[in-house]
Amino acid sequence: MSTSISRFRKWLLASPPIEFALSQLRDLLVGALRQGPMPQHIAFVMDGNRRFARSHGIETVEGHNLGFEALARILEVCYKSGVKVVTIYAFSIENFKRSKFEVDALMEMARVKLSQMAQHGEILDRYGARVRVLGRLDLLRPDVLAAVNRAVDMTSNNGDCVLNICFPYTSRDEITSAIRDTVTEYTTPLPSTRASSTSPRTPFSETHIAQNIRAQAQGTKVEDLPSDTETASASSGEGGGPKPDHPNRVYENGSSFSSSSTLHLAGQQQQQPQDKTPTSSEPGAVPNKDSPVFMSPETITRQTLDEHLLTHDNPPLDLLVRTSGVERLSDFLLWQCHENTEIVFLDILWPDFDLWHFLPVLIGWQRRISKSKKNPDAEGNFDGIEASDSAEEVTPTSNDKVKDL
Amino acid sequence: MVSQRHKELFRDDIRSRGTRLSAADREKILSPYLPDPADLPRRAPQRRRKVSRKTPIRSFLKLQLNLLTYAFIHILFGIVTRVFQSYHAVVDRIFAIIYYHHRTPELIRKDVKSLKRLPEHLSVILSLRKEDDALAILMDEVAELAAWTVSSGIPVLSVYEKTGVLKSCIPILHQIIRSKLSSYYGTLAQQPTLQLFAPHHPIYNQQQSRAPSNRQNAATLTVLLLSATDGRETFVDLTKTLAEMSQSGKLLPEDITLELVDAEISEITTQPTTTMSAEGATRGSNQMISTVKPEPDLLLIFGPFLKLDGYPPWHIRLTEMFCTGGRSSRIASSDEAVEYHGFLRGLWHYAGAQMRFGR
Repeated sequence: MSTSISRFRKWLLASPPIEFALSQLRDLLVGALRQGPMPQHIAFVMDGNRRFARSHGIETVEGHNLGFEALARILEVCYKSGVKVVTIYAFSIENFKRSKFEVDALMEMARVKLSQMAQHGEILDRYGARVRVLGRLDLLRPDVLAAVNRAVDMTSNNGDCVLNICFPYTSRDEITSAIRDTVTEYTTPLPSTRASSTSPRTPFSETHIAQNIRAQAQGTKVEDLPSDTETASASSGEGGGPKPDHPNRVYENGSSFSSSSTLHLAGQQQQQPQDKTPTSSEPGAVPNKDSPVFMSPETITRQTLDEHLLTHDNPPLDLLVRTSGVERLSDFLLWQCHENTEIVFLDILWPDFDLWHFLPVLIGWQRRISKSKKNPDAEGNFDGIEASDSAEEVTPTSNDKVKDL
Repeated sequence: MVSQRHKELFRDDIRSRGTRLSAADREKILSPYLPDPADLPRRAPQRRRKVSRKTPIRSFLKLQLNLLTYAFIHILFGIVTRVFQSYHAVVDRIFAIIYYHHRTPELIRKDVKSLKRLPEHLSVILSLRKEDDALAILMDEVAELAAWTVSSGIPVLSVYEKTGVLKSCIPILHQIIRSKLSSYYGTLAQQPTLQLFAPHHPIYNQQQSRAPSNRQNAATLTVLLLSATDGRETFVDLTKTLAEMSQSGKLLPEDITLELVDAEISEITTQPTTTMSAEGATRGSNQMISTVKPEPDLLLIFGPFLKLDGYPPWHIRLTEMFCTGGRSSRIASSDEAVEYHGFLRGLWHYAGAQMRFGR
């Protein structure tokens, strides 16, 4: 009995007039959402594909395929309503522990989707869609990696709508890499020429002064040095400062007087082999005089770490949605979501997820943002406000009504 | 919305691993669902102007309709949330009457006895209010929570408060928790052992050296105070130290692994630096320092909605989160009160959840 009802419902929903009306309604709702503030960056944990498959008696892979359809639906809603960046958790590093069959099927699905996408480069370009894959790409199979690289490269110049796919990803891994990259950056010595050409602190050299004193004591005049620039740069090199002292540097400086561009190039070339010296774990081999210049570790801030994260060029995360009623983050975007992000756990399996479940979340977010704008002391952040400014000017009365409730 | 017919075509294509349809076929299916290229703001500015001139009234009406719908759904949503809030406010009051601790540890234990599992490490996010006596209220909340936690048999409680004001008054807080415990348990000997500490602060357990061998209650409670500086700032400090070590050649950047970071970050919250007791620091410092499980099992957010607000990110990877205000009332005040039934609801919720590693 219940199956026939559900079949009737399905038939009814698939009939052309109903389908048309539903799609018009969706368009209207999405257009309406656009009028308020919208989150700039939303993250989804697409949880529940397997459970959906189990409860509906279909294969796990089929569940993942339905999950992909749900993703397409939600992405349409997001981008049409003005969300700039969507980040999805497609595959965790921990997921490699699942059955080989399932992992392979997921990989195959990713490969097919990404390579299909690459066939439609023109459409993606037209809408400015950009796909990025975040995570440990080195753990992927070569053919999947090739598909990933092709899709990412092809869309790398677009930027209106960004889809971040966290492919083999965990947040702890990301934070660790950010720390490691920061340390690597700070272990790379500064280009030596930058230090010598822009060092206002040592315009005089001790040896030169000593020479002068000695000369004055002897009552004779110091022989003139060829040029000022050479004196300054050569002396700062040997002036006991913590700059690398290369034997050919004096020659470089002398030959190319004040053309800073060539100096810079020369310095960078010298810097390449220099990279290895401090990390070679034999500090004794490096003479004290040659110790390279580093950026001070004290200049590391949260900003520095932020810039080394995989999401560094995205707006801050406004909303994180996890489906299937599991109420933990499972190592997803820990760093990004632990400050001003609103986290929402929905008790619905991902393949069922649609605009109707997403709408209350978005409206709730919009309400809170409008409220926190009214009362800046309250909670909330102020990122997606630009859009609402114009909307508020147009309809002050309606918004006041909203707030009164 | 994609029509059923196209959905079927699409699914057939997937089943054959993307071989059935060619790229051109797929584009043909796709084309009705793509927005009109003329609507794009940036790509074709001239064309867009022409289009908008062609249908100015239609687009104006559409905008008005959208605005109207926006206002309408927000009003509707406001009404619905108010109704739900009122309903939950009533339910919450009923719960508050049915489940009240009456400052009796036995009653609390009875409330949690039927639960399948309890968190080993409970964490709560509290917020400082704006009233004058905000600090006093906050400390009282911490004391209440400490009493409930230890009564329900959870050994570790960590309290996150963004500004870190609690860390500056550890001795007073210790006293307040003590007096709260004595109102629950009675005399000193019947109280559970309490230790209170914060990262980078010495452990404070003044009382334990005085509490002699006649202790009747074997339970211990470790209270850990966290603030926003234990979050990102800790990572910044760690990175600074690692960068310094790397610059002086003591460490290769490749040596920085997840395990190293995990060990370092965990150490801050588990290892109190030194034992500081009022009389005789040497006595009893060995058996008192129990190792704290760094990852909380349950995170209770006493707030209107789920926002971590700077909570240290590293350890919440597998933490269950529960927001007491997600469905309850906010009519009385904008701040969520720390109430016993909220605490209890969190524990129930935790017991009902299933634990699976790796999604």
